[in-house]
Amino acid sequence: MSENKVAEKKTAGKKGAGFLPLLGKAWSRYSFIFVFVIILIVYAVTVHVNGNTFKWSHITAILASQNTVIVGTMAIGMALIIITGQIDLSVGSSLVLCTGCCIMVFNVTGSILLMLLAALGSGFLCGAINGVLSGYAKMPPFIVTLGTMLIYRSLTLSVVRELDSSVTGSSSSQFAMASGSPKYELLRMKFGTGKLVLGSVSIPYITFLFIALLILFVIVCRSTKYGKSVYAVGSNEKSARLAGINVQWTKVSVFIITGLLAGVAAFIQACKIGNVTPASSGTSYEMYAIAAVVLGGINMAGGRGNMLGVLFGALSYTTINFIIVSIPALSTDIQNAFQGLVLILVILVQTVGPVIRENFRNARKRRQALRQ
Amino acid sequence: MSILEMKGISKAFGGAKALTDVDFSVEEGEIHALLGENGAGKSTLMNILTGVIQADSGSIRFDGKLYPEPGIRQMEQAGIAFVHQELNVINDLAVFENIFLQRELKKKSGLLDKKTMIAQTVALFDELGVELSPTAMVSELKTGQKQLLEICRALHMDAKLLILDEPTTALSNAEIDHLFHILKTLKAKGKSFVFISHKMPEIFAVSDRYTVLRNGEFISSGNITDVTPHQVTSDMVGVQYVDKDVYERRPLGDVVLELRGFSGHGFRNIDLTLRRGEIVAFTGLAGCGASELLQTMFGALPAEGGQLRINGTPVHGGIHSFMKHSVGMLPANRKENSVVPDMNILENTYLAEHTLSRRRPFIRQKAELSRYNALRDLLRIKAGSPGDPITSLSGGNQQKVFLARWLNIGADLLLFDNPTQGVDVGAKAEIYRLILQLAAEGRTVILNTLEIPEIRKVSDRCVVFYDGEVAKIFDHDEIDEHAVMLYSTNAVHAAGVQSHV
Repeated sequence: MSENKVAEKKTAGKKGAGFLPLLGKAWSRYSFIFVFVIILIVYAVTVHVNGNTFKWSHITAILASQNTVIVGTMAIGMALIIITGQIDLSVGSSLVLCTGCCIMVFNVTGSILLMLLAALGSGFLCGAINGVLSGYAKMPPFIVTLGTMLIYRSLTLSVVRELDSSVTGSSSSQFAMASGSPKYELLRMKFGTGKLVLGSVSIPYITFLFIALLILFVIVCRSTKYGKSVYAVGSNEKSARLAGINVQWTKVSVFIITGLLAGVAAFIQACKIGNVTPASSGTSYEMYAIAAVVLGGINMAGGRGNMLGVLFGALSYTTINFIIVSIPALSTDIQNAFQGLVLILVILVQTVGPVIRENFRNARKRRQALRQ
Repeated sequence: MSILEMKGISKAFGGAKALTDVDFSVEEGEIHALLGENGAGKSTLMNILTGVIQADSGSIRFDGKLYPEPGIRQMEQAGIAFVHQELNVINDLAVFENIFLQRELKKKSGLLDKKTMIAQTVALFDELGVELSPTAMVSELKTGQKQLLEICRALHMDAKLLILDEPTTALSNAEIDHLFHILKTLKAKGKSFVFISHKMPEIFAVSDRYTVLRNGEFISSGNITDVTPHQVTSDMVGVQYVDKDVYERRPLGDVVLELRGFSGHGFRNIDLTLRRGEIVAFTGLAGCGASELLQTMFGALPAEGGQLRINGTPVHGGIHSFMKHSVGMLPANRKENSVVPDMNILENTYLAEHTLSRRRPFIRQKAELSRYNALRDLLRIKAGSPGDPITSLSGGNQQKVFLARWLNIGADLLLFDNPTQGVDVGAKAEIYRLILQLAAEGRTVILNTLEIPEIRKVSDRCVVFYDGEVAKIFDHDEIDEHAVMLYSTNAVHAAGVQSHV
């Protein structure tokens, strides 16, 4: 006992020795915060170069962006799925399907509660189908969700053309919320685009919703038994099973959670935008969500990653978009290329960094061995 | 004339001596059995020969040439081929593609010359009497056929000496006969073999000469016709080292576990009764079914027949239902089946408990820490902070953490599948001490191990398995390494055959 305590103290003493090792440790654990800060500084510089001053409104814009709130909400689920070592390509299509469902329910019933239930219910279904096929039927999640990605969107697309405009709320191929009622005002104006104003600082309500969900899942990952089982399954499936964890159910459950979160995102989409176009809305959102997860420092191989990273990953991704948009020389056509480039760079640092560090460590060991 | 002469080979890993001054020679055109218990140094010797690791001292002469610093490539080109236990064939290629892998024949256009390759494969197979279609996919072959394919590939590379590492483990009797027939044909053609096996009947059926290693030292060598299975077994086991101090007879309690006609993957019709506080050792060769039985008793593999009762209640279902009946298993191959590498020591300890207390979803860090500290002191785990990664611990201490995982759920029937694999001698002694301590506290232990010398140190009874069935049950006082070896290699049967002849 006392031996162990002494050992603890020794290591603690060694680690606390200097500022640089502390920074190194912080970097390896919270690299996503540093990445975000660097990207934010670059953004501030580009704003200045354009002749404007960097203000709080720039940050509010990042916080309120579609990419932060809606993609970020789905990225929370995506992070769980990736931690278990799986992938979900269908979240963009699920978003469109759920938004369509909840707008239709609102238009028909005029009830906010039923609208929310419709969003969550359809999200649950989308996720459960993905989960059962990849968890219980043991099909590769990549293929399953590639399939459902096509199915969910195309279903929504065909439904919107068939239904009466009183249900869809629009005569074109779009779902739109029926305007005019006080409930519509409440959802769209008060909640969807409303802001909490504190002096010169204003933050949109939907951002609080996203951050509340994120905090919830940070807690789930850190201090619940379920959260630990998610990590265990992604880290070593065999060991997890032999420790009594229901591996299949864990895999299914993360898909269901992601489906529910897609439902929440759909509700936010309906309130913020008021409509959804099945043919074009939410395309590539699954890729944006994956990008946010990766920028958040969550390991694509599973088993490792901090849920808090998703917040900064989503913020980083939005900021990268803002930087690209703010450079007048870049046409919109080339923007995706830049997004891709930045993403590859970040992953390169993530995967190559440890390899280089390992090489250095081995070289040092060899040199020490030679000296002896 | 000797094709291979290894002289005075020594090798140490860190401080532990794996080989001390070992001599080993193989004649041209013979099958040479290399014998010894697990850890005797056979694999180390063969790894040195094939250039996987370098010897600290000693000389290797092969085919008249000295190899002072053998490398893998060099020894392969010299004509030494290692046919591994885990087969190194590529399942997604056809048979002939495997034979010509990395040495494909090409046409002038640069495309593959499949016709010639197939024709040469057919010629090779005809010469050896191997009945395989050159165009069949390897994934569709049986294990025995894959084994033959690997041998053929080695021969196609002009190997002069083939090392066969327990080649018969996964083969049926007919396949073994076929393999031996081919070995004899090749022998007549001047090829030499090092045959590593534990099964006495096979060794006496096929080899010409033998060499026995024990604890990394050369013990004996000679013609197989000059010895009996009993003598060879004695050489392998050596003078018995029994640590009488450790074992104490304990009073046993009520019946805890009952197996009646229990069958599953790789074992059948097992009848066994265990009492509270008892330590029972399972032993046998690789593939004898003991490990599968253990896994089935934990719900990790499905039972196929018979009954299992714990404290009188029949138990079915998966791992979780066995855990609820206080069963815990330390699986074999720690790294693959126990370690959750991305988690820290505390999380690894609590993994199993969390699945049983799901109803209270939140983790209580303080309570967990104090339980962990108590377990750490009980098991004498040498670890830094509980937040350190599990991978920072030595093998023995990792194993103790996984034992803590089960003690933490109050498991009182503990199944240990080869728990001392990959841990050093000191840690081994610790683990056996713990097993005795746990039994003294009223827990029941089943220990599956291949290390017969250890069985006598701890177990009340020893169950020997051969080919999926119980071959013999020894009481503590009857446990004799020699006798256990005879039953687990089925040498009893082989000796019987010989005396009839």
